[in-house]
Amino acid sequence: MPVEVGAPYRRRLRQALDDEAQRTALDRATARLSAQRAQALAAVDNPRLRQNARAIRQSAIQDLPKLLEQLEANLLTNGCQVHWARDADEATRIVCGIAEKSRTRRVVKSKSMVTEEIGLNHALEALGIDVVETDLGEYIIQLAGEPPSHIIAPVIHKRVEDISELLQRELGMPPTDDPAVMCAAARKRLRQEFLNADMGISGCNFAIAETGTICIITNEGNGRMVTSMPRVYVAVAGIEKVVHSVEDAALLWQAASRNATGQNVSVYFSMSSGPRRHGHADGPDEMHVVLLDNGRTRMLERGYGDATLCIRCGACINACPVYREIGGHAYGRTPYNGPIGAVITPLLADEPASHKELPFASSLCGVCRDVCPVKIDLPRLLLDLRSDIVESGATPRSERLAMKAFARSAEAPARFRRLRGLARLASRLPVRPPPLNRWARTRALPPVPRSGFLESRKRRDRDGRGEPRG
Amino acid sequence: MASSMADARTEILDRLRRVVDEPGRMFRSYEEVRRPEVPMHVTLAEGDSLALAKRFASELEAVKGSYEIVDDLSDVPARVIEQIRSWESESDAMDGKDPRPLQVLGWDPGKLPLPGIRKPLAEAGIEWVVPDDLLDDEDRQRAAAAATGLTGVEAAFASTGTIVLAPAEGKSRAASLLPYRHIVLVPIAAIHPTIESWLASLRSSGQLADLVRDSAQLAFITGPSKSADIELNLTLGVHGPKQVHAVLFDSQRP
Repeated sequence: MPVEVGAPYRRRLRQALDDEAQRTALDRATARLSAQRAQALAAVDNPRLRQNARAIRQSAIQDLPKLLEQLEANLLTNGCQVHWARDADEATRIVCGIAEKSRTRRVVKSKSMVTEEIGLNHALEALGIDVVETDLGEYIIQLAGEPPSHIIAPVIHKRVEDISELLQRELGMPPTDDPAVMCAAARKRLRQEFLNADMGISGCNFAIAETGTICIITNEGNGRMVTSMPRVYVAVAGIEKVVHSVEDAALLWQAASRNATGQNVSVYFSMSSGPRRHGHADGPDEMHVVLLDNGRTRMLERGYGDATLCIRCGACINACPVYREIGGHAYGRTPYNGPIGAVITPLLADEPASHKELPFASSLCGVCRDVCPVKIDLPRLLLDLRSDIVESGATPRSERLAMKAFARSAEAPARFRRLRGLARLASRLPVRPPPLNRWARTRALPPVPRSGFLESRKRRDRDGRGEPRG
Repeated sequence: MASSMADARTEILDRLRRVVDEPGRMFRSYEEVRRPEVPMHVTLAEGDSLALAKRFASELEAVKGSYEIVDDLSDVPARVIEQIRSWESESDAMDGKDPRPLQVLGWDPGKLPLPGIRKPLAEAGIEWVVPDDLLDDEDRQRAAAAATGLTGVEAAFASTGTIVLAPAEGKSRAASLLPYRHIVLVPIAAIHPTIESWLASLRSSGQLADLVRDSAQLAFITGPSKSADIELNLTLGVHGPKQVHAVLFDSQRP
């Protein structure tokens, strides 16, 4: 049974761990992506690349209001229309408004997590507009009626045989286990979509302030199609995506490519700076850019600015031992999963209590921090979020009571000794009382010692072996 | 609607202005940073123009592209014709209901590094389509039937096997995007060592911003269209060309 993203946290975890097919697919894919990444980074001066990438991203965030105004001014000069959206509702209303005004019936999209974040497809479909995802992986999961489970490899959770079955059912493809045949079937179908669509929609990898340019990284070429073939092009860009210069974007493109898939550079890197110019044979008549906040400013205000530096390469996701076991859908209704998702999903959400389990879905092993191309200290952010959640009172009552009891007993040695005695007794019971039973199902309880630090200290002093104290 | 959008802009920028005044408040692990004054060269390539051409070729091949280096300029048209004919028999890879294996979707010949190439191709029975306006449905269907795209380049990078295309009048995006195969004519003088060296030369001559903006879309292309979405199996020609074939030649040699 596949993971239901709308199910409660514990049920999602159980479903994910029980899904042998998904675990096989995840094992194969994450190990290979991690190995390819390591190889690509061994070929360059990675410490320096990380330092440069960090400096480029951090300085952009520090100059954010100034850069956004510069970006807007240049986009307008280039002939674009610029829209600002405080939240998901505002953003989807803007895009739906553009679609209605341009009498759009059919939309083609290149893969973009930000449009997943704001639920754009659903809003457009509610207007009776056909929305087609054109990234091969994203197209496959759209056919399957599932959300993506990885930011760069959306169908990473499916095996080749699952995909073949799906394409046979949905596209009438003859039975095959050859990915090239599956790919050709999708190309044929999607080619007509590109040629017939009224509007193309993309996200944005980097927005260059000095030239008014929206950069898109793709390997399949669907990014170029979406930004070139339909008469209207809409880019949805998180406000944090802005960078100072063309050179900055060029460095981040290379850092993202090497860290995401182990390529030196992605096959395509498109830098769109407005509608087609006079005399050009192709390119859109209109280009719109929607600058989206949706919680990003709040992230900065709450001191989580490090998370806005992310360039969405997915290296932390592939390296994460938790993600490798449970996959993306176990993180719930969010396009962002793995360590970075566990940080930004609760931060982007409106209510602080939603997604409160996610920061705890980590062993804090630190591999995510080690691989991050912009040096985000993810374990630190996860810990800070955990403490925010505890302080907001969103943890279970039993846990709060246990912590309170522990705090009180630790205040006085006599009380502490009594608690230890009780714990020793409890640890020898064959059956554990709730809620310990659930906790201990997958963990070994540590042995409770007969005596503690204070007693042994006293004994050492008595036996005259302790250090003389002044 | 217009006023509520103006409100969104003001509100977002006001909040950002307040928060960026204290970088220590935004970042948990705050350390002062300085943007690099000279951009880091992520990759490197060295040598004379022929060495750069060879490096470009080997990098392109490493990402599943193909190439040939043609010594004699006058041989280029014959080699292009030969390439197109060799593909004619491969019927696997054709788009559209009525594919045209001997049709080329090209740039305006006057915009190619080898303008004279149109005549020998026509004499060899290869039809040349130059789209004027791909928003026109008839033009669009005609363009989509051509099996091969033929373009020049704005620049190329030796260290990554990348070509840069800058759309302009007579230089359609479609020629490098719609056909199943893309032949790109690369004069070796257009090959720069790295993307950083190309950007630096445009920056110092003051042309960088204009090139980016006036082209409407600068496209960096490194090999054929590919995907690894189906369980990390590499598949080529997902949406863009399945084959990218570079013909390298020295257009300055007599």
